[in-house]
This record gives sequence, structure tokens and C-alpha cells, in this order.
Amino acid sequence: MATFFKVILRNLAQGPSTIKYPFEDSPAPEKLRGKIKHNPEACVACHLCEYVCAGGAIKIQESEDKKGIDFVVWHNSCTFCGLCEYYCPMKAIHLTNNYHTAHLQEDKYNFCEKTFVMKQKCIRCGEPIVPLSPTLVEKIYGKEGDVKGLSKMCPKCRRKTLWEGGAPKP
Amino acid sequence: MAELLQKIVKMSPWIYRINAGSCNGCDVEMATTALIPRYDVERLGCRYCGSPKHADIVLISGPVTAVVKDKVLRVYNEIPEPKVVVAVGICPISGGVFRESYSVQNQLDAYIPVDVNVPGCPPRPQAIIDGIAMAIEIWRKKF
Repeated sequence: MATFFKVILRNLAQGPSTIKYPFEDSPAPEKLRGKIKHNPEACVACHLCEYVCAGGAIKIQESEDKKGIDFVVWHNSCTFCGLCEYYCPMKAIHLTNNYHTAHLQEDKYNFCEKTFVMKQKCIRCGEPIVPLSPTLVEKIYGKEGDVKGLSKMCPKCRRKTLWEGGAPKP
Repeated sequence: MAELLQKIVKMSPWIYRINAGSCNGCDVEMATTALIPRYDVERLGCRYCGSPKHADIVLISGPVTAVVKDKVLRVYNEIPEPKVVVAVGICPISGGVFRESYSVQNQLDAYIPVDVNVPGCPPRPQAIIDGIAMAIEIWRKKF
């Protein structure tokens, strides 16, 4: 009997446990894996996310005008497993805690994250290449950064420059 | 009297769910939205019913496998008009991880006109509530 009254009193003090969701916002935990956010500045288009994607939702391909790379995640095929975030070497993909995924049938094929990774011209021969992000440059060349401008060259020119000028001092 | 009944009926669409070869993940979340007091979909006037003949909104989960396809269509045709279809989970929407499997021929909207999609693997109960709220709006317009 005592436990019974205890439960009643506790429930009276707590109030209803039902959340008022569609009429009020319901906060999600910080680490919830929801809609994907892609940062085109950090992306180096290495196709690793496309390779590990469980649902086959990620598609990376050269744009039609060949000026950059189109990155598309179709949320209607994404399992929100987080493998892309885990394996991304640049941490360019992040799964936000936005869980509002319900949408009407006419938006079915537009329900995706589309970004565009701009290509830059190689400073020596002018061939368009995907630029390296500043964090990757620091990883490769150390804290003083890229002295010879190697990170802005295509692989061929990089080899040529190294051959002509010798390897950069460590 | 009939007008009054129409008005009352509009307040409470009943929900029916079909498992079209789902892994049970989405079904558990759908049961969660109905049974657990925290989510309690009956606030919106909905109720899960046992017979397709009583249903107004149908929630379908699972990739429509070759074996279960005809049964899904049979049950779907038993639901009286007007009806609204909600595809829950990525499987009925696009095939999901089962796409291009030997037993999955096509996604759901190739067989049945779908109105609302709720992607997720499984979707959150809140997302399912969102989808049901959208479906209720569509259903009231169809009425």
C-alpha cells in the first residue's frame, strides 16, 4: 500500500510523460545520427565515403561542365549508419542530429544533400585539380606549411618540381 | 445525422500497418509510437486497428519482396477509399540496403501510389509522428 501511494505521488509530481511532439519541438541528443551535412571546402573527393556507404546513397562524380565534382547524398537510401563520417579522412562529412525526415512523395527525389567541390587550376600547367584542404596541407608539410606551393599543383607537376628543385627540407 | 457523422469521422483516422518483408526495426518503432506513453500517437486521434477494412491510413514497412508483393496488394485493395499510404523506412522508398537483391524487384511506389515518405533505418518515433500528421492532412483533403 505504501509503495502504491508512493507511485501515485511521484506520478502526480512528475506530470504526464508524453511529449507534445508535433505541436512542440522535441530536442534530439547531440550524437544522434540524422541528416548528413557535407563540407565541400574540406572534401578532397577521395570516394572513400562512396565506397563504404552501406545503403549506396552517396554518389560522387564529375560535373557536366568538368569544373568540379558533384557530391550527392540521397537521404531516402541512407541508413544513417555513420560509416562515411567514421572513414572520412578529412572529416568533411558530419551527421547532424536533425531527424525531421518525413516528406511528401513529390519531394522524394529532391530529398538529398547536394554540394559542389570546385576544382582549381594547377599553378604550373593549368590543369584543373581538386584542391587540398588546409588541414591536409598541414598534415603533409608540417606547421610552416606548403613553402613551394606543391599542394596547388597536379601530381605530374609536383613530381617535376621536386625533380628540378630537390626534395623540400624537412 | 450523416453530416454530423462525417464531421466526427474526420477527427479520427485509423491506422493499419503492413509488414512487406521488413526486418522488424521499423515495426518496432511504429509500435513504439502507438504503445509507449512518451510518444502516444493516439493524441492525434489515430488508432491502430486490426483489420484493413477499418483503416484510413496505412503504414507500410519493408522492401516489397517478390513473395509478399501479391499479399500486400490484396490487403491494400481491401482498405476502403479514401486511403493514404505512408512508406516507413528506407526499404519501401528506395529498396535501401536490399536494393538490387534477388528477391526485391521494385520499390513500393511502383505498385501502390505512396503519399508520404518517412526515411530512416529505422526512423525516429518523432519522424513517424511527423509522417502520420502529414498523412492526416492529406486524408482530410481527400475526404
